[in-house]
Amino acid sequence: MSEKILDIKDLSIRYVTEEETVLAVNGISFSLDKGESIGLVGETGAGKTTTALGIMGLVPDPPGEITSGTIEFEGENLLEYPEKKMREIRGGKISMIFQDPMTSLNPVMPVGDQIREVVLLHNNVSKAEARSRAEEMLEQVGIPKERYDDYPHQFSGGMKQRVIIAIALACSPELLIADEPTTALDVTIQAQVLQLMKALRTQYQTSMILITHDLGVVAKICNKVAVVYAGQIIESGTLKDIYTNKQHPYTIGLFNSLPDIEHETSELKVIKGLVPDPSNLPKGCKFNPRCPYCTPECCENEVEMTALSDTHSVRCIHVGEFDREA
Amino acid sequence: MAKKTRDKNQHHSMVGEVWHQFKKNRNAVIGLIVLCIFIIIAVFAPMIAPYGYDDQDAAHTKIAPCREYPFGTDNLGRDVLSRIIHGSRYSLMIGFLAVTISIIAGGILGVLAAFYPKLDNIIMRTMDLFMAIPQMLLAMCIVAALGSSLFNLMLAVGLSSTPQFARVVRASVLSTRGQEYVEAARAIGGSDFNVIVRHIIPNSLAPLIVQATLSMARAIISASALSFLGFGIQAPKPEWGAMLSAGRKYIRQCWWLTVIPGLAIMVVVYALNVVGDGLRDSLDPRLKK
Repeated sequence: MSEKILDIKDLSIRYVTEEETVLAVNGISFSLDKGESIGLVGETGAGKTTTALGIMGLVPDPPGEITSGTIEFEGENLLEYPEKKMREIRGGKISMIFQDPMTSLNPVMPVGDQIREVVLLHNNVSKAEARSRAEEMLEQVGIPKERYDDYPHQFSGGMKQRVIIAIALACSPELLIADEPTTALDVTIQAQVLQLMKALRTQYQTSMILITHDLGVVAKICNKVAVVYAGQIIESGTLKDIYTNKQHPYTIGLFNSLPDIEHETSELKVIKGLVPDPSNLPKGCKFNPRCPYCTPECCENEVEMTALSDTHSVRCIHVGEFDREA
Repeated sequence: MAKKTRDKNQHHSMVGEVWHQFKKNRNAVIGLIVLCIFIIIAVFAPMIAPYGYDDQDAAHTKIAPCREYPFGTDNLGRDVLSRIIHGSRYSLMIGFLAVTISIIAGGILGVLAAFYPKLDNIIMRTMDLFMAIPQMLLAMCIVAALGSSLFNLMLAVGLSSTPQFARVVRASVLSTRGQEYVEAARAIGGSDFNVIVRHIIPNSLAPLIVQATLSMARAIISASALSFLGFGIQAPKPEWGAMLSAGRKYIRQCWWLTVIPGLAIMVVVYALNVVGDGLRDSLDPRLKK
């Protein structure tokens, strides 16, 4: 096995406001080897983005606080890093791609300068050197360097996302966190951007955490998958484990809800109910109110992860007891 | 080559767009022209003015506007036109510098309040406290405490409108701070200072520019009012408000001693107001087509 680059253990993050305490992340653990990429899949509000912000040390405090866990990056716990050291990590060793390319570029700064900025922050280089590096990055993501001085509003959505990818990769980070990088783009541009990310990732040997709710995107890019529900990982494994041998009722429901191109149906299959309110989580298995196989035991104790193989584990006490194709 | 020129045009599109929008507002353009004329007059005052501002002529006192003295002369035989021309220097300078003082003080306080929630209440409640005191009274207190001089006058006018600037800046920064590009700027490792200076301030400027032009008009009036009350610039310096105040005694016989400085104040303030209005409209993206 290659070396572990990121190892998150039992990470819990909550948001405390005067009215309520929102348990956004409840004991997430996963690890990532160098060069690997993991997909965090889950519904809106499952705690995927909060996990990412936790790794970056950008959980807004207040109201957010990290209540337990460790985030080991290259063997050191990031949660113990002082702010100054954390700043060197951000953008340098770990960088993040945000969800919406329309709003994550500064509208009054030329795009090239925005790439140059990250180069200047993390490398001891002159402005001219940083500029040539930024131009190089623009070319790498398929934008002519003559457009260095253009402003974001002169770019299309797909091009803006390319610029953001250029910013994220400008310092050759060890780890790239992509938070729904293609959600705001249309399908053809999505494919281009994904292709680009895949190519650059291989070139730079970057590990990646891809946050998405699009199972197709995960299948295309990742080699590991973790399904997140109510701030917990409820099933994790390799791409093959999850796509061909899914075990958790939620994962099964998630896949069943994908429209099937071969069979004409009038209604999409949905998982009944809504994601539980993170300020008022159900007792026992977090999925029990929506689970078709729920038994009284499911509502009593916290469910632990059960390992099915070296790579595949699932958080369900009835693993294998029900018909998976139902 | 053609592409190059197009790119060139695009670079300036932010400023260009604002100007394009601004041009459509005829009043604002006229205001801007008037303002430019006054600025030129102020800069070249000693060359333009036919007499010095303090040249007395005992033989020609209280002459009504005529060919030789277009704006008449005052009780000491000083040419009112020359005094107005020289006075534009003081009035415009007070306007600009007082507003600069409020922008700097209010801007810093507003940014700090918006950016650090812990400071927010301390700063903004203090500002509220100052806002509770009428601006004029506050300015008078400051001048009375510091003594009357040109600089203290500007300081007083500037500081007394600082709370408004702090409010505007805070509101604007609060809305900018929530933008995703600010979070993205942190995610690439920017420090607080870097994020504020490079990302937040440039994106929060529009309301500030408008507030500045509108306050400049108010600053000129305040300074004139303070001079009128005797707190501002002292005779024989020809500040417009002070001239108005000095002409008050002769208002029955020599109308021009009050009307002319009053008109000068009015024209500049009006010009600043329409320019401010025009800027507000052209900077507001919601009004753009």
